[in-house]
Amino acid sequence: MASHDESGKKSNENEVPTFNAENLQSNMKVVYYCRTFMSIIGGVIAGICGFTGLMGFVVYVLVMAITSVCLTARAGFSIHSYFDSWNRVLLDGFLGGLLVNVYFVCAVLDVSFCA
Amino acid sequence: MAEELVLDTAIRDWVLIPLSVVMVLIGILRYFVSKLMRTSQLPDSKIIKEGFVIIRARNLRAAANFIPVKAFRARKVYYTNEENGLLHVPKGQAQNPQAQMFSDPNMAMDMMKKNLSMIIPQTLTFAWVNFFFSGFVAAKIPFPLTQRFRSMLQNGIDLSTVDVSYVSSRSWYFLNLFGLRGLFSLILGEENATDDTQRMMQMSGFGFDPSKSLGAEKDGLDIVQHDWVLPKFEQRAEAVLRKRLSS
Repeated sequence: MASHDESGKKSNENEVPTFNAENLQSNMKVVYYCRTFMSIIGGVIAGICGFTGLMGFVVYVLVMAITSVCLTARAGFSIHSYFDSWNRVLLDGFLGGLLVNVYFVCAVLDVSFCA
Repeated sequence: MAEELVLDTAIRDWVLIPLSVVMVLIGILRYFVSKLMRTSQLPDSKIIKEGFVIIRARNLRAAANFIPVKAFRARKVYYTNEENGLLHVPKGQAQNPQAQMFSDPNMAMDMMKKNLSMIIPQTLTFAWVNFFFSGFVAAKIPFPLTQRFRSMLQNGIDLSTVDVSYVSSRSWYFLNLFGLRGLFSLILGEENATDDTQRMMQMSGFGFDPSKSLGAEKDGLDIVQHDWVLPKFEQRAEAVLRKRLSS
């Protein structure tokens, strides 16, 4: 997934961490793409398994958690050299992905559960 | 009230899937059309100069702590000086760039084109959906909703006992509209014309760019507190070098 070059952000400063804005932005883009893609996959899976209502939402949160863990692992667990705060990598595309996820759940449910 | 309706395969084949496919194709078409219709407008040199001044002031603000106090103050005065500081815009001139921008025919045409390319496909598709696909249950939303959404989601269906989760094709259209934005950002890359909210933010921010942001940058520079974070950095650099050389 994240085959993009997530180069490190820190400048040569010892005490005050500064970030290269362009790299930071491209890392955020990678996170966004990963989340969108995973929310599509999660939506399709939830639709196929027939999860509706609260169960579907729980599946979405689970998928997002897995995505966050994978992103953290890809960044080598040292989040601070790639992003400026934990919140960004954990929570960033959550709501945007929710809409996509709901859409795909509906789509797959309605297409597959027909007479 | 809670009967389990099963959708006919005919609805699936002829309503749900074609509508989704059509929306995806229209999105792709709109992306390519907007790419083709993008006229290369000659940028106004004054606006570009002001843009660069703003960028320089912003860099100064961001990196203020890395330069000595005197240097920072000298630069700050250069920008915010009352008489001839770069960021200081006298009151009379402040309105001009904005008025100029809106009366400039190229700019107005451009904005109108962007607006049209957004609105027309949406309107056409919506009219098409309303005309052909109304009056029957099209899809089922997987989570339960309250009765208040009935008028919004079930407008073609005149039965009041049908569960609110069963919606008409109009709401399927809207669901497509919002859900496919994420998909478009994946398959079309960054520059896709389907994200309305981004476009509107860009358009509303564009008109006020020169005059107001100069004032904003000036205020920002005025309130920066300088905190010199590199005291004794020569000694520290010496220590680091010694350590490197000795190990």
